[in-house]
Amino acid sequence: MNRRKMLSLLGISPALLAGAPVDAQKPKKSDAKATLNKVEALNPRGTPPPTQLVPMAPRLASLDGKTIYLIGDGFPGADHFLDQIGIWFKKNMPSVTTVYRLKAGAFADEDPNLWAEIKAKGNAAIMAIGH
Amino acid sequence: MVTKAFKDLAILNAAKRGMPHERITFTPHPVSGKTPDELRAYVEGNDPVSGKPMMMEIVDALTRPLSEDEKKTGMVPINVGPPSFKDTAVNLQEYFLNNGMTDFLPIILPTEETVDAMLKSTSHKPDEVCGKMAAGAYPPWEFTVKQVAVNAVMAGCRPEYFPVVLAIASSGTPSLFSSTNSFAYAAVINGPIRDKLNMNYGIGALGPFAQPNATIGRAWTLLSKNLGNGGIPGDTYMGSQGNNLNYNNAIIAENEAASPWTPFHVQKGFKVEENAISLFRGLGIVPGQGARGTSTDTPKHEEQFSDLFSVFTGFFGGLVIADPLVAVSLKSRGYDTKEQLIAWLYKNTTQSVKDYKSRDFAYGFDYPRALKGLEPYATWYKMPDDAMIPRWPHETDINVVVAGGQTNAFFQGGSLSYTVSISIDKWT
Repeated sequence: MNRRKMLSLLGISPALLAGAPVDAQKPKKSDAKATLNKVEALNPRGTPPPTQLVPMAPRLASLDGKTIYLIGDGFPGADHFLDQIGIWFKKNMPSVTTVYRLKAGAFADEDPNLWAEIKAKGNAAIMAIGH
Repeated sequence: MVTKAFKDLAILNAAKRGMPHERITFTPHPVSGKTPDELRAYVEGNDPVSGKPMMMEIVDALTRPLSEDEKKTGMVPINVGPPSFKDTAVNLQEYFLNNGMTDFLPIILPTEETVDAMLKSTSHKPDEVCGKMAAGAYPPWEFTVKQVAVNAVMAGCRPEYFPVVLAIASSGTPSLFSSTNSFAYAAVINGPIRDKLNMNYGIGALGPFAQPNATIGRAWTLLSKNLGNGGIPGDTYMGSQGNNLNYNNAIIAENEAASPWTPFHVQKGFKVEENAISLFRGLGIVPGQGARGTSTDTPKHEEQFSDLFSVFTGFFGGLVIADPLVAVSLKSRGYDTKEQLIAWLYKNTTQSVKDYKSRDFAYGFDYPRALKGLEPYATWYKMPDDAMIPRWPHETDINVVVAGGQTNAFFQGGSLSYTVSISIDKWT
């Protein structure tokens, strides 16, 4: 399923792709007999904040001679998986330097020290999320 | 990079955070427990979502110039539908159900009339902002007193229960949370309001035997879905197996009259005559029957609690839910306060460092804390494998409440952490 369809089915975010809000689904039309007994029910949903679109970081022209940080978020197995990513670069793109780091804090925590290190010493970062 | 099981979550979360075109490469799932050869095959294989070679996709994602869409800025509103829906009652029930606004049980339709009746039970204005809620690491949704009332009506609450529901909502704590763990939630209610609402804290205190116990907890789940955007499988809910407690959570009215100990809310700084609700979060509740020592003539309940808790992960706190018979027995054996019992449990419920480190919770959450120097994790990770350490990081991770009808000296144990206590009176 593509992103647009998935977001539409969830009824909340297709606007993020389309750039404009869309209407939520309306209740289906009732049959003629039942129209005499219509009820008005209030929408139980809260108020989501508008989404601030964030422009993505500029891309590199090439990875030649660049340093890529490989970041684990603490879930088991991410470190071993990223090891294999590092091995792939060494074998297939030897001019690339990879640096593995385990992000400090619980999985959703920010790690400002690591972010600063990547900005100072790295050219790109790959973050691994999952189990 | 994200494992395939989290495809929808990753795409939607990136969109909610303002990057609907985030370049994500997927791997087969899971990566944990795989050998180096298996992981190498992942890396040298294809992205299971796009079908393209994984590493070529990564190189492309890092080097392909940004499209105009990827450079976009600005604010985008999110539409959650019209203020109301008009149709037959049958069609509306189906509409609410099919659009993720229920717990898949029939609801009371929230009409202006029923919602207005609910609003009469609080002095707070309908359009007052009650709070914000997020069912995970997402931007929180905001909601008013009236929006909480709509969900309270749907859950079947009587108007007099509404201040309790408002107190829960104001905490911003969802009862459905985005994690592969299937978290459970509980709430302890103290104060005279328990009798005013006819809450059940006697026989079957944790069962389906009283309307306020049943519907207040149900309202918590409905508002978590509708006000906090929680409970959308694959998006804001990832619990692999789900948790039956999520239907209406464990609403525990403490049996203050039959308890020999200080009521829970007084332990948290409230006065006896005040009304408060205290929230808990964790993995679930299990009965204590059959624990070590239960067949003896003079049962040592503290040892039974410890035995039960020894199979719990220490990542969440321990909550003892003791029948009054158990509490009175403990008091007669010298545990004059809950705190004395808690101190014994903390000291005597232990684990080896080796066992502790082998838990995925420890690796995923505590080890990164240890790296940051946070205690006691930093010290625990420096200790030898055969050293014995407490089951929980802090004595305050253990709590005790009293509930039950005194038909037998039984207890239940919750793998549940105390989070917050909220005044109910503030919302009357």
